[in-house]
Amino acid sequence: MASDVAKPVLCAEALSKRFGGVVASDRIDFSLRRGEMRCVIGPNGAGKSTFFGLLCGILRPDAGRVFLKGRDVTHLPAFRRVRMGLGLTFQTNRTFHALTVAENLETARRASARDAADDAHFRAAYAAFDLAGSARLLARELPHHQLQWLEICMALRRGPDVLLLDEPTAGMSPGETMFTADVLKMLSRDGLALIVVEHDVAFVRKVAETVTVLHQGAVFAEGPVEAVTQREDVRQIYLGRVREKAG
Amino acid sequence: MLPELTSILYQFGTNAAFLLLSALGLIVILGMMNIINLAHGEFMMLGAYAASFVVHRGMPFPLAVIMAFFATALFGIVLERLVIRRFYGRELGALVTTWGISLILAQGALLLFGPYMPPIPIPGGAVSVGVFSFSVYWLILIGISVVLVAGLALVYRATRFGLQARATMQNPIIARSLGIRTGQIYMLTFGLGAGLAGLSGALLAPTTSIAPYMGQQFVAPAFITVVVGGGANVIAGAVGSSAFLSLIETPVSLTLGTFYGTMALLVMALMVIRVLPAGISSLGARLRPIVAR
Amino acid sequence: MMRTLRLLNGAHDLGQGRVFWSGLALLAVAFLAYPVVASSFTATNVAYYLLNIPMALGLSLLWGYGGVLSFGQVAFYGIAGYSYGIVAGNLQEFAWGTVAAAITALLAAGLSAAAFGYFVFYARVAAWIVPILTLVLALLLATFLGLTAGYQWRVGDVQLGGYNGMTGIPALQIGGVTFQDYAFFYLVVLVVAACYIALRVWVNAHRGQVLMAIREDVLRTELLGYDVRLEQLRAFVIASVLAGVSGVLYVQWGNYITPSAIGLQQAALPVIWVAVGGRDSLLAVAIATFLLNQLTYVLSSSGNQSALVIVGGLLVAVMMFAPEGIIVGVGRARWLRALKVRRWSAHPGHGE
Ligand SMILES: Nc1ncnc2c1ncn2[C@@H]1O[C@H](COP(=O)(O)OP(=O)(O)OP(=O)(O)O)[C@@H](O)[C@H]1O
Ligand SMILES: [Mg+2]
Repeated sequence: MASDVAKPVLCAEALSKRFGGVVASDRIDFSLRRGEMRCVIGPNGAGKSTFFGLLCGILRPDAGRVFLKGRDVTHLPAFRRVRMGLGLTFQTNRTFHALTVAENLETARRASARDAADDAHFRAAYAAFDLAGSARLLARELPHHQLQWLEICMALRRGPDVLLLDEPTAGMSPGETMFTADVLKMLSRDGLALIVVEHDVAFVRKVAETVTVLHQGAVFAEGPVEAVTQREDVRQIYLGRVREKAG
Repeated sequence: MLPELTSILYQFGTNAAFLLLSALGLIVILGMMNIINLAHGEFMMLGAYAASFVVHRGMPFPLAVIMAFFATALFGIVLERLVIRRFYGRELGALVTTWGISLILAQGALLLFGPYMPPIPIPGGAVSVGVFSFSVYWLILIGISVVLVAGLALVYRATRFGLQARATMQNPIIARSLGIRTGQIYMLTFGLGAGLAGLSGALLAPTTSIAPYMGQQFVAPAFITVVVGGGANVIAGAVGSSAFLSLIETPVSLTLGTFYGTMALLVMALMVIRVLPAGISSLGARLRPIVAR
Repeated sequence: MMRTLRLLNGAHDLGQGRVFWSGLALLAVAFLAYPVVASSFTATNVAYYLLNIPMALGLSLLWGYGGVLSFGQVAFYGIAGYSYGIVAGNLQEFAWGTVAAAITALLAAGLSAAAFGYFVFYARVAAWIVPILTLVLALLLATFLGLTAGYQWRVGDVQLGGYNGMTGIPALQIGGVTFQDYAFFYLVVLVVAACYIALRVWVNAHRGQVLMAIREDVLRTELLGYDVRLEQLRAFVIASVLAGVSGVLYVQWGNYITPSAIGLQQAALPVIWVAVGGRDSLLAVAIATFLLNQLTYVLSSSGNQSALVIVGGLLVAVMMFAPEGIIVGVGRARWLRALKVRRWSAHPGHGE
């Protein structure tokens, strides 16, 4: 069991992707342990979403490989990776707005629910986010933070081992953000591996042990939260970003 | 040897020219507005009707062809203002609606003008090389389709309209914020596409019988050329696809007959999209992402 | 059983609840009782208005629920019709010959759709390419069948017949019953009812939900672990088998089929029925198909050539002014009001 925890559940080798002249992913090496909670940070356009796209299979890499639970999935389509135990939420909320909350979750359910045991993460999150009361509402009638929670629950519905969340707390109030952090931490403690793209440093400090900093498509820094966020050069890129945003 | 070679080249040339002429109006509208005009064949029919009408009232054929361009362009502009503009961003809706329009046009032409229009005699004679003889008119059509494509490319490269059109195509919102009147660009583009369909219809009118449902014969070749060409760079795509398709179609038609030639087009289209879902024109743009965010 | 009934009553079609189903049952009884008051000629005509409903329902599933548009459903209608004619004509002496023919016909429609659909859907082409290619398929099939005049174009004892089509197709026979006249009418009513019920359960069940999810957002659905290509192909095959059902019923009606039944004008009609009714409601599509078939039949049998102009105009008008469909528009207007009140009071502040 102990060796199992140490084994990477998701792993990338020299992953690269260009869009025309833009190098969106530049030889990214990456490894995530079972049950690990990782934050990926980086300024706008750093290539975080592209990296997620490559991991989950909606983008094809120009070079490099992706391993999921020890298996080379570089050439597998996205839905196969999901069936193997990967879940993802998008940067912009992509729940089915015209369907009810219950239908959204029903759609996310595997057609033949054989083993109920592996949706423990889903049930925990569903209860924590308290969506049951809104089950009959149309998704578009939900407030924004609940929509985000709904999408997380959908991604958990099949009982994945790894969950990729692209800016899950964007647009949430500080209170909602911290609550979301608590729930994600709980899931992580229960054995779910997570990668979370996040800009909110308070959030990152709260949930992650290790952070990976992407910059111009490449891994710029990686290490313990405190150390990395203290680094001058990391602050520099982020300051750059803040200034860009302000100007 | 030389006559055989010429004959084969001639066959390729006419088939490619036919495909290109059939598809020309369609690709202008598709590339610009992402709308497939299912009434395309009927626009060609309108062009042929207009040409037949004026030719038999004494207008010389070349002038009649130009007149057909403007008449169908005008028709296209009116249609765009009244109907098509409601369907920007709703490509399937546009497809269905233009099909309704095509039914109205074809059956309407039947009701208004009867089952036939007076035919236009094929201009020019024939030249012979060895035992083979070639229609001068088809040679001219090959030339005209080359000129049309070049002209179209020039319009988009070198004119103000072309520049604004390309800007609108890339990003309508930014184009609008830069003061380009995108509504007008769409209107003119639809008019241009319709006009080109009418022009092609008039040009091809002497080679076929002019009847309400003549548009149907262009449906398969035109649409397959567009599917194989793809929507990324429509002009280059259509040139490449008509050349490629005629390469397949010609030998099949010659040995098995025209129906099987057309059948081969469909089979080729299915094969090509299996490898290149976005058509031949995506070959050049392979670096673009498969799926946008 | 209860589960199936719940699915049947599900939200993804117009009409729920006791009143609605009682009304529908009453309608079914009225249809079944119709031959009591109608001559066999008028009953057969009414059957003709009904027999295209399976094809229309299939297109509704594909386009309205699945977001995939096909312009070539008549191709599968024709494939089934011709296949039935060929097999039935050759197995006439055998007791179950026509039943075998019907099964073969549906298989032919389904398999050809699977083969064609494989190339189209597994290529993941842009949305506009599917209708174009299916249209070309129908057109080429019609052209091909038009070329099959002459003695060399025969399968066993049956001539394909070129533009004049295939004639003398034997009617379906099960045991001692030959499905002609009143029996044909009952057959059509029962088949249509069965198709409606089955599809309504389907769209409300898990697979139907997945199909609608694909219509809403392909990428999201793929990332929930669904093979979008397979789901679309499945819907296409179901729709095409349903078109085949209509094709088999059609050749029962007139005992003949010609290439024009597959031609470009015919190809437009299912799209018109579905669009005018309201593509994301099976019930609305069924009603519209019945009414519009009646309209075109009455118009064209009175020698009026403007039928196509009229239905074409109707299509354009509907797409412009009531894109959700006329019958759906009327139906939803009332249903929605009741629904909205409940939703708003259930969750104040977040209505749209
Ligand atoms: N589909 C695409 N086509 C072309 N360029 C793209 C595409 N997707 C991303 N890019 C480019 O790749 C780079 C990385 O983009 P990406 O979306 O991965 O960044 P990000 O780190 O997620 O940024 P953000 O914080 O804004 O979400 C950017 O320069 C972007 O413009
Ligand atoms: Mg991003």
